[in-house]
Amino acid sequence: MSAVPDERGFRMSAACDLAEYRSELHAWLDAHHDELAPRYTPPGELDDHVAQMQRVKAILFDAGWMRYGWPERVGGLGGSPMMRTELGAALAGRGLADPGLFSLIEVLAPTLIDFAPPDLAADVVPRLLSGAELWCQGFSEPGTGSDLASLSCRATPRGDPATARTWVVNGQKVWTSLAQYSDRCVLLTRTGTIEARHRGITAFFVDMDTPGITVSPIEMINGEREFAEVFFDDVTVPADRMLGELNGGWAVAMSILPYERSSCFWQRIAYLYRRLQLLVESAPSDDDRTAEIVGDAFVHLHALRARSRVTQYRLAAGETLGAETSIDKVLVATGEQVTFDAARRLLPGVIETDDGSVGEMWRNEYLYSRAATIYGGTAEVQRNIIARRLLDLGSDE
Amino acid sequence: MDAAERSLLAVTVRDAVDRACADGNASVDGALAELGWLEMLEAEPRDAIAIVFDVLGAANATATALDDVVACALGVPPRPDLAVLLPPFGSWNRPVDGRGLATDRITTARRLLVACEAGIATVAPSATEMTPVHGVDPCAGLHLVRVDVDGADVTPLDDCAWDAAVALGRRAVAHQILGAARTMLGLARAHAIERVQFGRPVARFQAVRHRLAEALVAVESLDAALVAAADEPGPETAALAKAIAGRTARTVAAHCQQVLAGIGFTTDHPFHRYLKRTLALDGLLGSSDRVVIDVGHRLLAQRHVPTLIEL
Repeated sequence: MSAVPDERGFRMSAACDLAEYRSELHAWLDAHHDELAPRYTPPGELDDHVAQMQRVKAILFDAGWMRYGWPERVGGLGGSPMMRTELGAALAGRGLADPGLFSLIEVLAPTLIDFAPPDLAADVVPRLLSGAELWCQGFSEPGTGSDLASLSCRATPRGDPATARTWVVNGQKVWTSLAQYSDRCVLLTRTGTIEARHRGITAFFVDMDTPGITVSPIEMINGEREFAEVFFDDVTVPADRMLGELNGGWAVAMSILPYERSSCFWQRIAYLYRRLQLLVESAPSDDDRTAEIVGDAFVHLHALRARSRVTQYRLAAGETLGAETSIDKVLVATGEQVTFDAARRLLPGVIETDDGSVGEMWRNEYLYSRAATIYGGTAEVQRNIIARRLLDLGSDE
Repeated sequence: MDAAERSLLAVTVRDAVDRACADGNASVDGALAELGWLEMLEAEPRDAIAIVFDVLGAANATATALDDVVACALGVPPRPDLAVLLPPFGSWNRPVDGRGLATDRITTARRLLVACEAGIATVAPSATEMTPVHGVDPCAGLHLVRVDVDGADVTPLDDCAWDAAVALGRRAVAHQILGAARTMLGLARAHAIERVQFGRPVARFQAVRHRLAEALVAVESLDAALVAAADEPGPETAALAKAIAGRTARTVAAHCQQVLAGIGFTTDHPFHRYLKRTLALDGLLGSSDRVVIDVGHRLLAQRHVPTLIEL
């Protein structure tokens, strides 16, 4: 599938093909609803969500759906990456997989495809897609939040860096999603000096069962343990697990941005539409105040969806996505918080005092939504990027 | 039209409108006519509306092209001497009792197109009472109108046709707001870079930068909403674009005025004209506040949240 690089018209030449794919996908999901539906009673806990996602991935991989949009050399069936986006959005929109967990595939698999030795990618990517494995991303550190280029978890070669057969990792990562469930980790390490900043970073693909790795889950504000601290104590990593070039880890980290800011966002948007749908179904009143709150959330989500759609057409047309996706990020974060603020306003007392499953779901997700302006680059960092790169306001120093 | 043709047309329209504005506002309609506006509207309505109304907004130009857009959507061939009765300020329903708004075209038009409860009629403006609206933006060229359609030939008009006319008109007005919002942001950006306080340009202060960033987010979300409204035309996507336009204008004006500070509070600087024009434009074919409530009521009535646009 290809798109016409037509900056204002945006309609893909093959848009009808994607529409056809979408309609076949939804028909198949309808037909297999019972098989795919969660086995737990909603809202469930993180263990349930992870198990559900892996089970659904296995079913979808066998049926081929998990393989569309991925290259054939890693077990895919080819086609536009937008097919992946449609699948993720369909699962989120139907509540079959948690969009935050499911969309991690989009920030992990492309890294292997683009930067791993071909044999390694061909071996491991199908395991991720089929639900046989789960991976995590070791980027952030206690001293490295918004300023990723300052990371200090060190990888040292055994011998000369050019010829070393193994590297030894020491240090700590934090906010590593699903680390305690993961089989592998895409890890950013310091291989140059701290002063070299982004030019002294190297990426590795590390097996999580390697001796010396300790995972310590962190309890989040909503009581779940999605994130973890990961400690590396003399962890040995084979040199052929290096992703990209020595000291070329920044390119690996940055390569994720286009996927995170397109496909992942579209999945998140589908989830937010589903939540607003739930709210519209359960709103106790239909007065002007209720209409204003619902309308306000819908306007936010529509603007966000419209923007994300334009971004995905640009990506499909072969454009390189960059700083302008900070606008998408600001809109996603705002849209998410507005949606859950609407829930709190329209369902009085539910988030605060309802101990049933409905209250548990809204409370959990409301609290999680507070992080939307923090993770993936804070709202402030996004505005700095917009000011510097898009408005060309010059340095702020 | 491909991207290159669109950019070329945008430059041509901008040059012509800027020249006309410099020459006194009266000739903007004439400049558009010379460029073949009506032919463009007929042949390429999507691009014609987007380009012309973006430019009108950016130049703070007063024109009457909205009459052509609404007439065209109502299935009546637009003509330079045909004015249209628009709903009253803030509303989008068919004018009741012949009361509504009109652009400046009503002062010279030979015919006035009126959509009323019974249908659609064309009357002579002599049957019309009209009062110029000074209000917040005397240069917007609006008139309060009351027209008597008794005795005129009325052709039935179904609700879908009226909704389609409102939708296309909303897209035009939203584009005009987009052009105005981009200009406000450009003015504030230029000021922030030039204005020195505490020994440095105020653009270096993060508080100022974040305001301008916030304004750009609003501008780009409106741009995207208008692409969506053109790709999936219909009353829903147009209503959302109009609601987003009103909010964008408010957000952009607030941040830009704060960044412009003292100078933005004067009539020496052009900012005030854009602020005033967007206040007036928000009320044409439904203000954002009322549209948001209406959209919310529709969702609640259907108990359904439509996605409206797909990949």
